[in-house]
Amino acid sequence: MRALQADGWSRLTHVARAWPTIQQIAFSGMVAYRAEMIIWVLSATLPLVMLSLWNSAASGGPVGGYDQVDFARYFAVNLIVRQLTGSWIVWELNWNIRKGELSPRLLRPMHPLVFNLCETLAALPFRAGILFPLVGALAAWRPELLFMPSGEALAAFSLSLLLSFVLAWLIQAIFGMLAFWFDQSMGFWSAWFALWSLAAGYFVPLDLFPEGWVDFFRCLPFYATLGAPIDILLGRSAVGANLAFQAGWTLVAGGLATAMWRAGIRRYGAVGA
Amino acid sequence: MIEVAGLCKTYRVPVRTPGLGGAFRSLFSREVKEVHAVSDLHFRIAAGERVGFLGPNGAGKTTTLKMLSGLLYPTSGTLKVGGFVPQERHPSFLQQITLVMGQKQQLLWDLPAIESFELNRAMYGVELAEFRRTLDELVAMLRAEPLLQKPVRNLSLGERMKCELIAALVHRPSVLFLDEPTIGLDVEMQVQVRQFIAEHNRSTGATVLLTSHYMQDIAALTPRLLIIDQGRLRYDGDLEALSREVAPERRVVIRSMVPQLLPLGFLPQGDGMVATVPAGETNALIQRTLAVAPLVELGVEVPPLEEIIGRVFREGRPRSEA
Repeated sequence: MRALQADGWSRLTHVARAWPTIQQIAFSGMVAYRAEMIIWVLSATLPLVMLSLWNSAASGGPVGGYDQVDFARYFAVNLIVRQLTGSWIVWELNWNIRKGELSPRLLRPMHPLVFNLCETLAALPFRAGILFPLVGALAAWRPELLFMPSGEALAAFSLSLLLSFVLAWLIQAIFGMLAFWFDQSMGFWSAWFALWSLAAGYFVPLDLFPEGWVDFFRCLPFYATLGAPIDILLGRSAVGANLAFQAGWTLVAGGLATAMWRAGIRRYGAVGA
Repeated sequence: MIEVAGLCKTYRVPVRTPGLGGAFRSLFSREVKEVHAVSDLHFRIAAGERVGFLGPNGAGKTTTLKMLSGLLYPTSGTLKVGGFVPQERHPSFLQQITLVMGQKQQLLWDLPAIESFELNRAMYGVELAEFRRTLDELVAMLRAEPLLQKPVRNLSLGERMKCELIAALVHRPSVLFLDEPTIGLDVEMQVQVRQFIAEHNRSTGATVLLTSHYMQDIAALTPRLLIIDQGRLRYDGDLEALSREVAPERRVVIRSMVPQLLPLGFLPQGDGMVATVPAGETNALIQRTLAVAPLVELGVEVPPLEEIIGRVFREGRPRSEA
């Protein structure tokens, strides 16, 4: 067992064997940081704030085709997608590259990005534990938002959610890796996040934008990370086109992340010590 | 086991003049200075050797260790460790090596140390039974049993270093790169760590390349020395030979004043006398001294290692046995 084979299958087996331990230790870490983690997770509950605003706006009648129940459904699914596709890799990479903390991770026989992916997945039960009571409270406040999607819609939503998760994680990794070149990549990330909040459907459903803009925004990676799965579940956009754009952007981001890692690691200064 | 040929590493470091003016100028013209951290380094280390890597601050020791462990890409030159090119960071290469950095830690700060060891077990794919056996051995050698369940943040510096060593060795690497492993430790802890490294080398046959500013580490652990200064190798050979070459004289010290010994070259010093002679003539002088004053109490002093190394740095002698 000691000599790990280098081929891809062997690496995959290695990750699979290490997985339960990584999950368990990452979860222990989250429990150790529980207060900070809860605040982090709750900080991504902006959809609830937006819901209260749009709920007021729609009190006199539908806005852009959305009545109060539509807004409640939209932002409830928004909250779920946002929580289940969240990660911290941009902050971790930025910090680890600048401070030389990437070194211990580079010395282990598991790719640091794969390790981070395992850690991110380990956070999902923790996120779900905070998310479901929130959604439950929302449903108690406005029971009419509950609906039963078709089996096809649920299957398409699950696939779309998976693509959103991978794409959002890759995009964060890309911005984190900018620290190889710029020492400090969080400024770029803040600029991206501002655009994303608008164009992904985080603050407002894209349907409320002028018609030409909606089609344009639906082709962009921002929408592919959030708005696409929401609209698929709510039946508000073409499933095939959304999934195709998501898959395409995931491939582009995967290629870019791979190229950036290969180039960036040559520039890594392993500062400190 | 380790082969280094023509190794160079040049850093490009941004330079900025201080103050507001410097900050504004740096907006428009970014000045970059090249720092040659390592220049044309050549050496080979056989499997199982213990080698001390010495040099003043900024000499290029840590940069070399980082290149050997695959953290840094060399600017030019070739290096191989256990048959692998380190910067390719092949999983089988990473299984073979470990790098302990006295000022950087791999332990998980808020979790008990045992969790870091468990994580490394999973990451390195060590079987549970083998892990337990290795862990028991390491814990016993370092007397670290009481530390395993404590959160790392609650450990003292010395305790953390013990746990760092355990974390670095649970996968039984065959090459140990140790960068200042005793830095900041008290004398007793330094001795424990030295004994542990020597014992580990004896029991596993692991190759050890160690940097340290504590000459006791070097004297106790590494029969062979690589001395590097300004990125260049100044000396490669054993400690005895270096001592003979750089400090060939010995001081014969007498604890009392014996005027009859003045003709033999002794000079008064404090309450006693001292004579400095080439190392090869020490025995002859002792015999002559005892012939003149048979009851005198005498001793022979070798210049301390710090002084010998200091002379190599000051005089910049590019000497080598190899």
